[in-house]
Amino acid sequence: MDLIYAIFSPTLMSQIFVGLSRTVILFIVASGLSLILGVLRIPNIWHGSLYMVGAFMTFTISGAFGGGSVGFWIALILAPLGVALVSLIAERSFFQHLYEREHLMLLLLTFAFSLVFGDLVKMVWGMQYKSVPVPQIFQGSVHLFGGLPFPLYNVFLLAIGPIVAVALWLIVNKTKIGKISRAAAVDREMVGAVGINVSWVFAFVFMIGCLLAGLGGALVAPTVNVSLGMDHTLIMEAFLIVIIGGLGNIWGALLGALIFGLAQSLGILIWPQFGIVFPYAAVIIVLLLRPTGLLKSTW
Amino acid sequence: MTKNTLGGKGRIVGGALLILLFLSPLFLPRFYIYLVSIILLTGLLATSLNLPLGYGGIFQFHHAVFYGVGAYGAALMITKSGLSPWFGFVVGPLTAAFLSLIMGLICIRLSKLYFGMLQISLGSLVWIIAYRWYSFTGGDNGLHGIPVPNAISSPNGAYYFTLLVTLLSLWTLHKIIDSPFGSALQGIRDNPVRSAMIGINVKLHQLVVLVIAGFFAGVAGSLFIVVDTAVFPDMLFWTLSLEVLIMCLLGGWFTFLGPMLGAAIIISMRTFVSGFTDYWTLPLGILMMLVIFFLPNGILGYIEEKLHRNLIEQTIKES
Amino acid sequence: MLDVKSLSKSFGGFAAVNGANLEVEKGEIVAVIGPNGAGKTTLFNLITGVLKPENGKVLFKGEDITGLPSYEVCRRGISRSFQVVNVFQRLSIFENVQISILSRERRTWNLFTPSAKLAVEETIGILESVGLMGKKDRTTGLISHGDRKVLEIAMALGGDPELLILDEPTAGMAPEETSRCIELIKDLSGKRGLTILFCEHDMEIVFGIANRIMVMVRGGTIIQGSCDEVRSNQAVQEAYLGGSDAC
Repeated sequence: MDLIYAIFSPTLMSQIFVGLSRTVILFIVASGLSLILGVLRIPNIWHGSLYMVGAFMTFTISGAFGGGSVGFWIALILAPLGVALVSLIAERSFFQHLYEREHLMLLLLTFAFSLVFGDLVKMVWGMQYKSVPVPQIFQGSVHLFGGLPFPLYNVFLLAIGPIVAVALWLIVNKTKIGKISRAAAVDREMVGAVGINVSWVFAFVFMIGCLLAGLGGALVAPTVNVSLGMDHTLIMEAFLIVIIGGLGNIWGALLGALIFGLAQSLGILIWPQFGIVFPYAAVIIVLLLRPTGLLKSTW
Repeated sequence: MTKNTLGGKGRIVGGALLILLFLSPLFLPRFYIYLVSIILLTGLLATSLNLPLGYGGIFQFHHAVFYGVGAYGAALMITKSGLSPWFGFVVGPLTAAFLSLIMGLICIRLSKLYFGMLQISLGSLVWIIAYRWYSFTGGDNGLHGIPVPNAISSPNGAYYFTLLVTLLSLWTLHKIIDSPFGSALQGIRDNPVRSAMIGINVKLHQLVVLVIAGFFAGVAGSLFIVVDTAVFPDMLFWTLSLEVLIMCLLGGWFTFLGPMLGAAIIISMRTFVSGFTDYWTLPLGILMMLVIFFLPNGILGYIEEKLHRNLIEQTIKES
Repeated sequence: MLDVKSLSKSFGGFAAVNGANLEVEKGEIVAVIGPNGAGKTTLFNLITGVLKPENGKVLFKGEDITGLPSYEVCRRGISRSFQVVNVFQRLSIFENVQISILSRERRTWNLFTPSAKLAVEETIGILESVGLMGKKDRTTGLISHGDRKVLEIAMALGGDPELLILDEPTAGMAPEETSRCIELIKDLSGKRGLTILFCEHDMEIVFGIANRIMVMVRGGTIIQGSCDEVRSNQAVQEAYLGGSDAC
């Protein structure tokens, strides 16, 4: 009995749940990245910047509407849409001209965009940390696990995660455009040959992927200091998650995010100073065993 | 095009440049000497990347790891062991080469993109260890005030040491490219199937190239210690890897001196733009876009192409 | 010299090569013919290590070379040209052939001697014998298709092979280039004593120079025999020559 209590100790469970809420954010961003990588074959480094822009825009929009709960909800809708719009413009103006060239060029172009946007964010919002207040309904904590508090907002995140996952799955598998995108991921010439405008399919997919980045940023905003540099660490983690999950595979992104998020929180529990190394080590172990990712990739 | 089409004129320009470089401490202020030192070692780093990238066709996404490991290896050797600092300068590149061997063995069995991704994963692990291990690596502060041998600790001393080591390294790398190994490498870049069919063990050649590239990246890292007496975890971060990639691309990744030129341009730009404004990454990003869209073979690549075209037109006219 | 027994390879359920058999004696010129999609190139790929077979054996001079990687196959004395031109585009014609020779001599591990000075005579020798000497410094990305196909053969010669496998050597060539190529192949066999295995679509060429012919249909071997045997074989006539006299 004691052993069971020790294994399922409050601290452990609490840490696991914290890890899971982090997983949700990682999953949302990584799924967008995976989508773009799978269908358009672009390793989108710009993704990190868009995540950061989503967070900053949430700050501004929620502030513009009074800084309270209402402001947050509006921001949660508008920020991702704003990011989506920007990404669409970028894709139509710049990216689409490079599809015929080597992947390296596309990767470098997304890097160029991330450099430019890194400075743009600095210009518009300055160098100081920004805070986004948690909406009133979610303020406070719920007392699970032997009395340890667990923030209500994190519960909200845990609920949002599956909703986004299911919505994404529906779009990709049940809608017409989703099916076309999957076909284009495998054989873009064939899709073009049957008369579908592949170019607009790509634009759509790119937009959805970037929207997810913006959504991730908006959702994470109340939980962290919104600051410059959030793009750099996140994009690295998102890429690793996509790689271990399987390129282009949304469920893979979920699995990868789970491994990453849980490895991180458990790691910190076991070895506080180096806990943060655990997810990276986990990634390497996975890649040594299954170099192409845990689930099937679209490549 | 393995041969430099610049020929005679190029030699004169090159010679003049060399003389300038050797005499510069006489007329350049201290800050510029420091700057040129940084350009030289970063140019060496970029050139070492270009060996697998431009001449080998391997998309090495995280070359900065070897630079950082070389620097940390040397720094730790100098500060933690009781041995002479000169040992550190040898240990650094050797550590980098060894790491390159390990990573190469792991990654080489994979195709292009997975190779790059696995490299990034391994590189990230190295970065985060360096970033966190305060007691050993100085954590996010890095190590400062590393004792450098007296002979090369002055700014001019550091400069000449850097210049000599860089020139020697470049000369070695150039010899390698001109050798049969270099030819085989370019063959592998252009057509790996064909290369295998004429008897070349492609994977083995690629592994050797990666180790050589890692070694010279480590040399560049050791040089950084001489010039700056410090190491930071940033030297291991992926953004530096991509910056070095841009340098190769900007200067011309199918040319030998392209990466050096790219390094010179980008570092100069960064230094001078940062003097005016905080927003240095914006112009860099825009420069990148211009290069990607308009100068995909880089500056030297463009010049070489023009010269080559003129040569062909001339030959046609004459015949 | 070369003995292929029941070689098979499928791609996702589609049997590209299905129980193919082939025999090549030393000094012969053997042609493989068959309709498009019969699996000729795949067969060559299986023999030369570009692909791994699922079933069957490949024996070369008595040694089992089934499934060996390409570079090992090359080292044992088999060289090959490709149907879709596979050369080193950014390098000159001279360099293309030179690398082939350097590779054979295992010199590619030489890191410090300038390659411009190595194997020059032999490279020139090969270039002269195929007629590309005049253009030796041109970048291969810029030369004509016909020249590139000849370069393919030149590169294969650089390996000093005993068996030369040519995959549609005259495909896409102009008539004059084609006859030059045929003369070259005859020379290689007659003067140099090379054993040659090739595949072609042009029946005149095939019946003109081949000692024996192997006919492939849908991945399998129908028959291997002399020109007359093949010409008069019922199954071949139906499946391929359409019953008419094509020579």
